[in-house]
Amino acid sequence: MILLQSHSRFLLQTLLNRVHNLEKAVEVDYNWVEFDDVRYHVQVSMKNPHLFLLSVSLPIPSADTVFCGGLPSGAIEAIKAAYGILVQILDPPRDGFNLTLKLNLSKLPLDEDNRHTILVKVASIREVVLGAPLRGILKQLGSRVVASDVNKLVALVHRPKESFFLVPQAEKVTVVFPMRFKDSIDIALATSFLQEFVEARRTAGLNNAPPCSWSLSPPQELKGAPSDALSANAGFVTFVIFTRHVEGKRVDRVIWSLSTFHAYVSYHVKCSEGFMHTRMRRRVESLIQALDRAKPDAIETRRKTHSRSFKRLVGDGNAG
Amino acid sequence: MDPAASRPAVVIDNGTGYTKMGFAGNVEPCFIVPSVVAVNESFLNQSRNSSKANWLAQHNAGVMADLDFFIGDEALAKSRSSSTYNLSYPIRNGQVYNWDAMERFWQQCIFNYLRCDPEDHYFLLTESPLTAPESREYTGEIMFETFNVPGLYIAVNSVLALAAGYTTSKCEMTGVVVDVGDGATHVVPVADGYVIGSSIKSVPIAGKDVTLFVQQLMKERGENVPPEDSFEVARKVKEMYCYTCSDIVKEFNKHDKEPGKYLKHWKGIKPKTGAPYSCDIGYERFLGPEVFFNPEIYSSEFTTPLPAVIDRCIQSAPIDTRRALYKNIVLSGGSTMFKDFHRRLQRDLKKIVDARILASEARLGGEIKSHPVEVNVVSHPIQRFAVWFGGSVLASTPEFFAACHTKAEYEEYGASICRTNPVFKGMY
Ligand SMILES: Nc1ncnc2c1ncn2[C@@H]1O[C@H](COP(=O)(O)OP(=O)(O)OP(=O)(O)O)[C@@H](O)[C@H]1O
Ligand SMILES: [Mg+2]
Repeated sequence: MILLQSHSRFLLQTLLNRVHNLEKAVEVDYNWVEFDDVRYHVQVSMKNPHLFLLSVSLPIPSADTVFCGGLPSGAIEAIKAAYGILVQILDPPRDGFNLTLKLNLSKLPLDEDNRHTILVKVASIREVVLGAPLRGILKQLGSRVVASDVNKLVALVHRPKESFFLVPQAEKVTVVFPMRFKDSIDIALATSFLQEFVEARRTAGLNNAPPCSWSLSPPQELKGAPSDALSANAGFVTFVIFTRHVEGKRVDRVIWSLSTFHAYVSYHVKCSEGFMHTRMRRRVESLIQALDRAKPDAIETRRKTHSRSFKRLVGDGNAG
Repeated sequence: MDPAASRPAVVIDNGTGYTKMGFAGNVEPCFIVPSVVAVNESFLNQSRNSSKANWLAQHNAGVMADLDFFIGDEALAKSRSSSTYNLSYPIRNGQVYNWDAMERFWQQCIFNYLRCDPEDHYFLLTESPLTAPESREYTGEIMFETFNVPGLYIAVNSVLALAAGYTTSKCEMTGVVVDVGDGATHVVPVADGYVIGSSIKSVPIAGKDVTLFVQQLMKERGENVPPEDSFEVARKVKEMYCYTCSDIVKEFNKHDKEPGKYLKHWKGIKPKTGAPYSCDIGYERFLGPEVFFNPEIYSSEFTTPLPAVIDRCIQSAPIDTRRALYKNIVLSGGSTMFKDFHRRLQRDLKKIVDARILASEARLGGEIKSHPVEVNVVSHPIQRFAVWFGGSVLASTPEFFAACHTKAEYEEYGASICRTNPVFKGMY
């Protein structure tokens, strides 16, 4: 897996399960949490097996981001546009959540493919809700509407109390991510990962991708930003999105990739650590083998009983 | 307070056959997937002939191949459709066998299935009662160093299964857990909340052996199953059609008299040619599970029936706990799901116990009558993932977070802290 999928695997599985057994009344009640502190709750009661209650809670925004009515701007419209008659937005939402949707599963399209498409869309609720303001700005870029607030810095929440920043202009949108990690090894890995990432962008095949750059200090786009946004221990990544990147269907990919960019980097940092561990384990194994070969036979037999469990663990690791 | 403690803990029960994963506080795991990884190891062989010139190309291939792997059902599907992937089973007989595969498996569980940030959640993992402490250190190393989890607790799976039984039926805290999974069967007695370690009994026969036996029976009868698919078919046949009978001879007669009622059919598609095929399912329906009650039909090395193992286990426990242990025998694991498994177990065990009482009464010349011993095998609907459920319940108590080893402790003292995981209140 290189990219994160936009739908929640578990939400999709739960929806499909429910839809395939619509006549069977079962109690469903699950709580779970995804990356960036997006929480979900789903509920189906025995009494109304075709009503699916889906609640979502979003990361707490930092001071510089505005939520209206507990949601990012444009989220309600985006939900209505994406799901139509299938959903009803409950007001107020379930306690502790930003949004509760009531899905009427009996209103799903009958055609198998259409039904699947819409369920995947429902399972991508975080993209629809959290990506709504981004979608608004990129839509403006796509339709070349010059917005009133050109050149103004816009902050969008993507992680608890953390934002990324956009500077919308007539021809392009500049996106800046302050990158922060908790662990010192992660910081080092992320820093070099991001430099490689920028480097990779320069290869021939990627000429049409959005230009990107990385710097340790805040880029000038962030001039007006609040001071806590200017501290980032793994530097700042800047993308420039042009009109050609948001044409037609492409805009969906761009929205998802941007709103999960931090999660993407964090995932690859963890993968790199795993990869290094694999290499380190192999190295240790080969050293232990070398040591074993060097041992005189007599010691070998005596030692066997002592270091048995350790040897079994290490020795067997590469056999499988 | 640690913000991670306000989120539900991640509970992963890694079994030989299936991994159950989800979030604490729920009644069911989010996913149950086969514990298998399909890896593209072409890059490893490449790097052996290391010439410096094409280092970069190899490096890039290696980096990409490193991300090119699948777990669970997707892994099985990949290995069937393409020859670049090799299947690797990270766990054998309940023990982690290949740490590289295990680390990758966890990586996908966390990022692709649960889609959570491991830095945001405490983790509860499980191990078999016979796991070596070194293995716990390895687990701790991977969890704290690769995934940066804020806290980790490694629980013994049988103890979790018992915890699951308590909350569903509210019985006392003494009992025997019979955990029959895919690769290992353990009989674990617990008295007043403490595992009686010296009395744990293991049986080398578990779910996988039932599958192998079914596969063998079908092969010997000459059923038309493509060899590359026969293990998977045998497993599905086992899970869908096998049941526990009360008496083999009677069961053979029943099948012979009314084959129409007992004979089942399996329809499949050959993976290579795509041609459909079908085969019959006969005696293996009841012979499969019979390996637990008459192991000699399958193995010449291990011949003690499961009820006798349970009896020996209880007989080796302290005498004042035995009656309570007989009264609360809790089943756990997928291979206890065969229809009527608990009835047969209870009946056979009762027979052994009654025979012993009769014998001792006879020895005493019938002067003293002893109280009859109550034998009770408890079966519950969540048997298949009882271990996970117990973990889910325990990890949602406030005491859990205090019992976890934290990342700070790990950094201070090293991986050895993971060797012991204290029993905590709420557990009993
Ligand atoms: N309905 C069923 N009937 C019979 N057997 C089943 C059923 N469902 C699953 N199994 C079998 O149960 C086994 C898996 O059980 P379980 O998930 O408890 O094992 P595990 O935890 O993976 O293994 P272990 O605990 O030995 O490491 C497999 O062999 C599977 O074929
Ligand atoms: Mg198990």
